[in-house]
Amino acid sequence: MAMRGERGAARPARRRGIGRRKVCRFCADKQMGIDYKDSRTLGTFLSERGKIIPARITGNCARHQRRLTAAIKQARTVALLPYTTVYP
Amino acid sequence: MADRRYETLVLFHPEQGEPGAKDLATRIRSLIEDQGGTVSQVLEWGMRDLAYPIGKERRAIYVLFEYRIGVRGLRETERNITLMDPVLRFISVQQAENAPPATLRQQRPPEAEVAESAESEEAPADFEAVEGEGA
Repeated sequence: MAMRGERGAARPARRRGIGRRKVCRFCADKQMGIDYKDSRTLGTFLSERGKIIPARITGNCARHQRRLTAAIKQARTVALLPYTTVYP
Repeated sequence: MADRRYETLVLFHPEQGEPGAKDLATRIRSLIEDQGGTVSQVLEWGMRDLAYPIGKERRAIYVLFEYRIGVRGLRETERNITLMDPVLRFISVQQAENAPPATLRQQRPPEAEVAESAESEEAPADFEAVEGEGA
């Protein structure tokens, strides 16, 4: 166990590719709350198909991604946001 | 019992029309008050297009209620709302005690909107497109 920890610590942090670091939009702008009624802001975190875009792509922090997904799901309940844009 | 702050967004059947929705809103308001709640605000969003059809309806009248009520009162109010036929759907959400009251335009604070003029220009265009579709 101890060896494994050491090995992990010794390994230098690698960054693949170039490009700027993504910042959580909600952390950057403290005023910007997450509200299920604000369909326009929430809509920017949906894909064209209406799927929730992963934090990996948007750069949201875990806390805000959690609140965001909850808000998007609430908004979907009251038809402010779509579940899908392609109807079965 | 400690009352908590809640808000409920209710979707009325479009057949009700604006006056019908007003009647229903007052009915829900009295439902909340009967259960010992205090309504701080009732916001009528009016007719809106739904993101997806609900029961073959493509539009609904949205009304938002902000109030304080106990947990039991809320449960009973929700039960009563479910019994109302013209209600397509509703959602109750607990609000933070220090959250500002909801405004009619559910967007970011006004100063942010002024800064992003491109976005605020987009909104009316969007709205018109929606109207055209309905006609």
